[in-house]
Amino acid sequence: MPAALFATTLLIAACGLVYELVAGALASYLLGDSVTQFSTIIGAYLAAMGVGSWLSRFIGRGLVARFLAVELLVAVVGGFSSTVLFLAFAWTDAFRLALYAIVVVVGILVGLEIPLLMRILRERFEFKDVVASVLTFDYLGALLASLLFPLVLVPQLGLVRSALAFGLVNAAVALWGTWLFRAALGGTRALRVAGVAALALLAGGFVYGERITAAAERGLYADDVIFARTTPYQRIVLTVWKDDLRLFLNNHLQFSSRDEYRYHEALVHPGLAGLQGARRVLVLGGGDGLALREVLKYPGVAHVTLVDLDAGMTGLFRTHPRLVELNGGALSSPRVRVVNADAFSWLDTSQDRFDFVVVDFPDPSNYSVGKLYSTAFYRLLTRHLSRDARIVVQSTSPLFARASFWCVDRTLREAGLRTAPYHLYVPSFGEWGFVLASLGEPYAAPTQLPAGLRFLTASQLAPLFDFPLDMQPVPVLPNRLNDQVLVRYYEREWERINR
Amino acid sequence: MHPVAPAIAAGEGAVTMPQSRRAFLGAVAGASAALVGLSCKGGPRIAGTFADDGGAAGHLIRDGATLAKPRERRRVPLVIVGGGIAGLSAAWWCERQGMRDFVVLELEAEAGGNARAGRNDIGAFPWGAHYVPVPGKRATLARALFEDLGVLRDGTWDERSLCYAPQERLFWRGRWHEGFESFLLDAPAGRAEWSRFSERLAELRAGGGFTVPLSIGAPASSPLDSVTFSDWLEREGFRSPALRWYADYACRDDYGTRAVDTSAWAGLHYFAAREHEELGPLTWPSGNGWIVERLLERVGDRVRTGAAVRRVTLSGSRAVVRTATAEYRADAVIWAAPIFLAAHMVQGFPSTADVTYAPWLVANCVLDRWPEDHGAPAAWDNTIVGSPGLGYVVSTHQQVARAGDRSVWTYYRSIPGVTPAAARRYLLRTPWHDWADLVLDDLEQAHPDIRSCVSRLDLRRYGHAMARPVPGFLDARWRRTLQSSRGPVWYGHADLGGISIFEEAQDRGVSAARKALDRLAGAYGASGA
Repeated sequence: MPAALFATTLLIAACGLVYELVAGALASYLLGDSVTQFSTIIGAYLAAMGVGSWLSRFIGRGLVARFLAVELLVAVVGGFSSTVLFLAFAWTDAFRLALYAIVVVVGILVGLEIPLLMRILRERFEFKDVVASVLTFDYLGALLASLLFPLVLVPQLGLVRSALAFGLVNAAVALWGTWLFRAALGGTRALRVAGVAALALLAGGFVYGERITAAAERGLYADDVIFARTTPYQRIVLTVWKDDLRLFLNNHLQFSSRDEYRYHEALVHPGLAGLQGARRVLVLGGGDGLALREVLKYPGVAHVTLVDLDAGMTGLFRTHPRLVELNGGALSSPRVRVVNADAFSWLDTSQDRFDFVVVDFPDPSNYSVGKLYSTAFYRLLTRHLSRDARIVVQSTSPLFARASFWCVDRTLREAGLRTAPYHLYVPSFGEWGFVLASLGEPYAAPTQLPAGLRFLTASQLAPLFDFPLDMQPVPVLPNRLNDQVLVRYYEREWERINR
Repeated sequence: MHPVAPAIAAGEGAVTMPQSRRAFLGAVAGASAALVGLSCKGGPRIAGTFADDGGAAGHLIRDGATLAKPRERRRVPLVIVGGGIAGLSAAWWCERQGMRDFVVLELEAEAGGNARAGRNDIGAFPWGAHYVPVPGKRATLARALFEDLGVLRDGTWDERSLCYAPQERLFWRGRWHEGFESFLLDAPAGRAEWSRFSERLAELRAGGGFTVPLSIGAPASSPLDSVTFSDWLEREGFRSPALRWYADYACRDDYGTRAVDTSAWAGLHYFAAREHEELGPLTWPSGNGWIVERLLERVGDRVRTGAAVRRVTLSGSRAVVRTATAEYRADAVIWAAPIFLAAHMVQGFPSTADVTYAPWLVANCVLDRWPEDHGAPAAWDNTIVGSPGLGYVVSTHQQVARAGDRSVWTYYRSIPGVTPAAARRYLLRTPWHDWADLVLDDLEQAHPDIRSCVSRLDLRRYGHAMARPVPGFLDARWRRTLQSSRGPVWYGHADLGGISIFEEAQDRGVSAARKALDRLAGAYGASGA
């Protein structure tokens, strides 16, 4: 009997922690910013457990039956928590509400468990032993769950099935309890029926979990508000919070509709506005069509080629109404040709030359992307430039990743280009930097910008090229294919920021 | 696409998230078995075969099958026997000197020898030698070739041909670590010993005798050549397991021999011959097959494949080269095939060459998805400490395009044995499925789910992959005898140097070509080096 009781404690403790971890992980997964998600969820969960513990005082008679009922309830609510949350994310605007509601309900129920269990056991064992053993197994159960979760559950089962699996464990424990405590229970029949029903429900969820998430994703397609999809290259998630539309790729924020115009105007116009007679433009990366939108503001630009690896990205931004509204239908413009290919390989085989090139790749956070920031890549790119052409390269933050930023500049110069680095403030990103590069004359800021901008003015351009003391150049090496210093700088710098 | 926002990046790494929940949900069934340690040995079928090797044709020659009357008789100034790096380099040199009237006879269906490559829908991959260290200033011949191939321009090496970062990683204590150094420096004793070893190497390097190729300055004999590498390490007090493993690995990797069988001079050559090279080696997705392709672009029209030379007889100052179907009467012959074959075939072969050969196995694994991988990111060269193999090279690493899900891994294993002959028997008698299992067992140490990722595994066996540089190899008399040949057969193969590396094969091939061209120039009063 004692062994069985303590196994019960261990298992319910593990279940309790798994529900909490599932909620935290799911929120980070879907919303990004995992530090915030985890802290607020842990806080809310622990507070709710406190409420549950306090509420336990109002349970007087029928302790065992109530305890088992709580178990069954937490099994069902906790077990289906991630399913419900995925569906809420797909179908409703109230994901956060659902998230915290579930966290609070599960927290209260889990908070009830231990006080009730202790009171049940107090009647059978020495109180000092009860406290010691229950808490011991409670904490050990937490350890078990915290190890299983990242090492086994998430990689093997995914979030939906992890929660369901532990819901099953929880329900099984409750059902087992009807035998364990049968002496203390008046009638076991109702509880057993409920237990079997809960098990069946959870098992069904477990078996059809995959279909449920697939249905959620189909919902996401139909939904004008939110989108989530995994392409062969990345996971694309769109979120809307009030009027702020955000794009995340692999959980990394790519833009916020509130301030993306700052980024894209600054990316395109300082380089392109002064290029009289620029007719042919190349955009590398930038499958969201936002840089394209800025490029198309020049009537003289006759052809734009956009090369983006991911057809999922360009397809989404060509068809989704909210996104088409944002990029002004740039991807459907007759002046635009969209190529879904790897930029490096495409440049290798293409013979085309361009007057202006926008290089807008993700930050060099790994060796695979780092290749697109190498001297070899820029040398190859120079073979595609017309005589007075310019390149602009998104170059991460000169403030947060100072060496990385200056490394991009150094690499461009190593490839034989003359550079003009500049920076601006984008609220959702912070200080951000770009590097203009050309084979020809030194850069001179244009005196006129196209009409209809929301951020840049001609007189504002000069200060962008001025770097304050904490963003000024540092000595760095160029990034080469065979020695990707940039990836190492970048890793080191963001790691420092993240600590 | 845009950069990472700082606030979001801050959360990275808190929890390992699945890239795609659908993919993960889908993977449940298969993966949960692996989780409890049940690798799916009986799981997905892996296709594959022994890729063609020249053994059968070679043994036919050894066993002296009778020769029918030739269908073709030809007079040709120069016959080059062997279409590996040595033979193709000899041809390349002749071409450069304006002597285009030669024929290259290659036993196998494809030229390239140990540097051959394969190709499938994923891309090209090596079947053998897969890199050339960046040649130093004194390696003029290798530099001349790379200038010709556009890899070296105005003193600058083409970045596209240099191995991309990250170049190597090592698997030990359950995870991958970038580079070799951290392993060697791991234990405090290891650190002290490694720095002492590095100092010793610097001294030896300063002595100048460890050259690549050997002909530009290696001694004709050395006291270091009279002991094994293991004995030398022991004598010098290098006893840390990490360093000993590394030394043994180096010998297996470069020579196919264990450190206990390798001449200390050869073992040290691996370490002392090259300056610490920041640039990393030159490599291509097809390994040295890329060089073979470039050489064939220049001389391929005169290469006859599937042309097994059966006999070389002397007739006055000329030589007659017989294949199964043709007879070539040549003024000069360059023997650019392994030397042990010459003993069977060349009339008046001047000595009994007491050279032994290490057998090798190369496996090309087609991966439909990337397996589990812990620690440092995948590198070009991936080595597992304590493995009987030599690790694997990711052939897609050297493609500039962003890596897709699929890849080809080229796995190497030298087969040291009690005797080379015993090792060779083991190599040749082990059936395909046993070898495939051994290869996958080895990879499984670092990639537990490798069996569910590999859809195809082809094997190539090299019975006589390379000459073994055992103690005494430097001043073997037969080498000197062969080198001082006065024709009409000149010998040019890496076996003559005794270490099987690209520069050595090239140097020996070109050197034989020079001698042959001199003779031809004397005979015709034309061309010459």
